[in-house]
Amino acid sequence: MTTAALSIQNVSKHFGKTRAVDNVSFEVNRGEFFSLLGPSGSGKTTLLRIIAGLETPGEGAVYIGGRDVTKLPPYARGIGMVFQDFLLFPHKTVGENIAFPLKMQRLPADKQREQLEWVVSLVRMEGLEDRFPHQLSGGQKQRVALARGLVSRPDVLLLDEPLANLDRELRKEMEVEMRRFQSEIDIPFVYVTHNQEEALTLSARMAVMNYGKFEQVGPKLELYHHPATAFVASFLGATNHLQGKLTRPGETYSHMDWKGIDLVIPSPSAAGPGDTVDYFLKSEKLGIRTGEATPEGTNANRIRGKLRDIIFQGRYSDYFVVFENGEELIISETADIPSVEIGRSIEVTWPAEAGYAFKNEEEEAS
Amino acid sequence: MAAVSRKEWAVVGTQAGMLGILYIFLYLPIFFIIFVSFVDNTVWPFPPEWTLKWYQRLTIMSDFHEGFKNSFLLGLGTACISTFFAGIAAIGLLKYRTRWRGVLAVIYLSPLFVAGLLIGISTLMFNRNILGLHGTLTSAILANSTQAMAFAFLVILAQLARYDWRMDEAAMVFGARPLRTFWEVTLPTIWPSVFGAFLISFILAFNNLEISFYNLGAIPTLPTIAWGTLRHGIEPELYALASVINFLVFFILIILFFLIRLGFVRLGYREQ
Repeated sequence: MTTAALSIQNVSKHFGKTRAVDNVSFEVNRGEFFSLLGPSGSGKTTLLRIIAGLETPGEGAVYIGGRDVTKLPPYARGIGMVFQDFLLFPHKTVGENIAFPLKMQRLPADKQREQLEWVVSLVRMEGLEDRFPHQLSGGQKQRVALARGLVSRPDVLLLDEPLANLDRELRKEMEVEMRRFQSEIDIPFVYVTHNQEEALTLSARMAVMNYGKFEQVGPKLELYHHPATAFVASFLGATNHLQGKLTRPGETYSHMDWKGIDLVIPSPSAAGPGDTVDYFLKSEKLGIRTGEATPEGTNANRIRGKLRDIIFQGRYSDYFVVFENGEELIISETADIPSVEIGRSIEVTWPAEAGYAFKNEEEEAS
Repeated sequence: MAAVSRKEWAVVGTQAGMLGILYIFLYLPIFFIIFVSFVDNTVWPFPPEWTLKWYQRLTIMSDFHEGFKNSFLLGLGTACISTFFAGIAAIGLLKYRTRWRGVLAVIYLSPLFVAGLLIGISTLMFNRNILGLHGTLTSAILANSTQAMAFAFLVILAQLARYDWRMDEAAMVFGARPLRTFWEVTLPTIWPSVFGAFLISFILAFNNLEISFYNLGAIPTLPTIAWGTLRHGIEPELYALASVINFLVFFILIILFFLIRLGFVRLGYREQ
């Protein structure tokens, strides 16, 4: 009925009164890298376990390659998986670990060897087949786990926070590697993570999950540049969260009172005067001006504040600016702006549409 | 400097002395029996008059042979049954997280707190009065298993409690059915405890007197023969018998030690 590699239809799962997964639907196509992004407890791992068959959904259906697998046990689903703590079999060698899925499928020995050679060279683990897992470094274990997931060329590869236990350097390296594997083979990846950087680096499309529900699904740039909800905006790297009251609603642009400072913001939907508004700003979209002001667009914000601190980050620096209402903004700019000193008065500018404004829903509920 | 090292020596010396006393306490009776089994004047063996006649007598006493065979079968049967049921009980208890876990475990372990004598008598009564069965080797194996199972359960549970059940999930995702998962992943990880449980239940049943005694009737085992000979005073052949069994155990331990040392057998696995 469906040709997508993986199709999730209205899946729900309750644990007692908690709705771990709440009526979720999505599809992943062949060769696609799809991420499930959310904080811990958002239900993303439960959803992955439902796809794997390690949990049964209360409602809904799971299709893999057009086949309804909702009622099938994990071993009948033809999937591959990479687990958070690798979960390599400690008593088996690297080669035995990787070939395990093939052995379970009772593939002929020569075919097994062929597949093993292919995947070992894909993850660049040649010559280490006779080692035991405890003799490997973290990155090597990760590669073995990936190889084991891919060796049988499964219909879909599920990855449960596979990089969470690696240090930063190694994580960067593995991100590059995983993009390479994924482009070399046609297997769809479903990648669960709580790390927005990982999701943005790796995936083509992603879903942001919160309290068992999808907040937004779509191509990553769409989510990054046009977050649909306040949660998505704050989760996808909008470091500055400004809360205030809507003063003058308009068609495209509105005005907001940010604790005494008037700001131009994109009009939040369904908000009237006096409503509480959340305005999210990414630090890299803000600019600092030191000298005489250059003219900005009509819908630009320009506020004067005092530079409190500069934190050098390498390719850029984070500038912390305090305003007269006591609030603070973080601005990411090039590290070497001349004549910027801590304690000096500077101007922070940004166009209204650089941020995302939402009506505060919690306020309404109370 | 010298004072400090003298003090350290005193500490190490005291500890070594205590260890030595402990070893003497543990092994002196055993070595004494071995020693006595080689002398003719067993009542007061000083100075010893060396002889091998107790061992010669042992080789021609057919009820000892019969007893050894029966004890071995009793141990083997009990070990198989106990290890199997203790294993599946431990897995079930850990895998299915119910509120009643503690209660279930205590019920399983309760034969530990019942005297062997009572288990022996009650099985005898139950078998004869209710089932109308005579005491046989089979009923002795079953009766011994009730107690050995509790020990085997403790041994397996201790290691299985540290087992990461997500390993099973991994195996299942990669296509292993439940039995295959157990065989390929669970068992190789926990086998030292399974082996230990097997060994302990074997030894318990092999050495058991009180449970077997009531179930076996006229069928001899080594402990029942040894018990029976008490009626005519301790016969020196028993020293020889005890020594032979001790030699056997030491021999097996030495072989195991070398197998592990040389890497033919791996006890457990390294943590990741």
